[in-house]
Amino acid sequence: MEPQDLRYHKEHEWIRVEGNKATLGISNFAQDALGDVVFIDLPDVGTNLAAEAELGEVESTKATSTIYSPVTGLVVQINQELEEHPELLNQDPYGRGWIAVLELSNPAEVDALMTAEQYDAFLTSQE
Amino acid sequence: MSSLKRIIIIGAGPGGYVAAIRAAQLGAQVTVVEAQAVGGVCLNWGCIPSKTLLSLVDLGERARHAQAWGLTFEGPIGFDLKRMMARKNEVVQSLVKGIATLFKQWNIQHVVGRGELVSDRQVRVTDIEGGISLLEAEAIVLATGSSWPQLPQFPIDGQQVISSKEALELVDIPRNILIVGGGVEGCEFACLFSGLGSQVTVVEMMPTLLPTEDADTVGILTREFKKRKVQMALNTTIQDWQATAEGIYATLSSEQSVVAEKMLISVGRRMNSRGIGLETVGVKTGSREEILVDEHMETSIPGVYAIGDVTGQSMLAHVASAQGKVAVSNAMGTPQAINYDVIPAGIFTLPEIGRVGLTEQQAKERGVNITVGRFRYGGLGKAQAVGETAGQFKIIANEQNKKIVGVHIIGAHAADLIHEGALAMQGGLTVTDVADMIHAHPTLSEGLMEAAEDSEGQAIHQARKRSNLA
Repeated sequence: MEPQDLRYHKEHEWIRVEGNKATLGISNFAQDALGDVVFIDLPDVGTNLAAEAELGEVESTKATSTIYSPVTGLVVQINQELEEHPELLNQDPYGRGWIAVLELSNPAEVDALMTAEQYDAFLTSQE
Repeated sequence: MSSLKRIIIIGAGPGGYVAAIRAAQLGAQVTVVEAQAVGGVCLNWGCIPSKTLLSLVDLGERARHAQAWGLTFEGPIGFDLKRMMARKNEVVQSLVKGIATLFKQWNIQHVVGRGELVSDRQVRVTDIEGGISLLEAEAIVLATGSSWPQLPQFPIDGQQVISSKEALELVDIPRNILIVGGGVEGCEFACLFSGLGSQVTVVEMMPTLLPTEDADTVGILTREFKKRKVQMALNTTIQDWQATAEGIYATLSSEQSVVAEKMLISVGRRMNSRGIGLETVGVKTGSREEILVDEHMETSIPGVYAIGDVTGQSMLAHVASAQGKVAVSNAMGTPQAINYDVIPAGIFTLPEIGRVGLTEQQAKERGVNITVGRFRYGGLGKAQAVGETAGQFKIIANEQNKKIVGVHIIGAHAADLIHEGALAMQGGLTVTDVADMIHAHPTLSEGLMEAAEDSEGQAIHQARKRSNLA
């Protein structure tokens, strides 16, 4: 079961909304599918992102994949710890493995994202 | 063997010395005129020195990684640049000696001095003391190469503003270095110095590193540069700079300022076509001062040939060697034409790059309908086993007849691995031929087979991409 307080996107990103800000990362399923993460290319603070736009790239020993922003917003903070310790994405995807904080442009977009329960059902349907 | 013929070769780089040996093998009496060390820039101040140093940086970096996998060391792994340079000098000296030995075995005479044409059959040699001698031959090969950058806006002082020549002789690791030019040389040095621990900034005028390489290769290299924390200033030029006692202060066109101990100029090599008597004899040159040659490597003057960098064709050591063999074959009476269709090349960044044939962009520009197959190093058992998972194989083929038109590899040993692609192209093979050939397991070579299979969506070990899972 995924953390209840988060919202999920079908590309396996999560966001945690606090006021007009949202912290985002990748789900446990995503980190598990990727395998050992060796590098993450983070966006610059100040980047404006549209919903479903490319936010960055994550490289594991198995694959390179794009991380999408589930919502529209401005990047106000990035997790610099990931530059030295990309393995945090594997070890703690919902905690110290957070990727960035966005200032939401359109908070209503959050409602369209999946709840933990819906995301679990989505994962089951994909199996 | 034809009857004995005298050939003079001016320049003993990878073009000239190879031409000399081949000419001797074909029965010529050969004289090589060279003022500096045999082996040329490639052996003495280029390819070989940089690869010797890069291989140590690579080894050190892999050893550091391997500490997490159980490799133990007494102390931290570091780089002693003085001893690395000594090792580099030993490697160079032994190879230079090797050429001298080959020259002896083939009775090739090495005249030390600068050669200059005085007629289509005569060369004047000026030695280091100013002594002059005159040589005569039935054929002359000009293999004078290219020179270090001499751009008016970046005069090399050998101390703070340096060329690759001085960069390969540094004994102290610079804290920071500003590299002007993100081409092959600039990128290789960016890897070398970032590996040694310098803070590196690369300034490139074009929008990407290695502007002539395949976009996939460039994308992966750019990510590797980010991993190495190399600062890349693309689409950028140096607006202004000054040398002070504290270092180089440069202002970029992006208004960013950079402070660096050294500034390495990796743009603007020039062909060595001045002062070698071309005008005297009437040898024609082109707009870049390159010597114009035909497919037999013969200049506008019959019996006078030119090969290598000075012909401005590709600035690759192995192309110079190939041209040299063609030139002397023709000089000795066996007609041979140069073929530039298949020229593999290696770029010794970390990780390496190997390329042959067209890039995807070039194929599209030529209106060729293509298929593209890709395979990541990470999908190979061998790559996982040796811990070299960064990189990709890419194979481009003509959609109609499936013939391979280009192969681009970035990753460990790419410059060696590229030759399977080159041989396939030379033989006119198809992606199916490569896919169907049994490749030994576990090897990195399997990557090309998988990429060929991927052209038809049938790579066996294609890694699952997260975006494809949903």
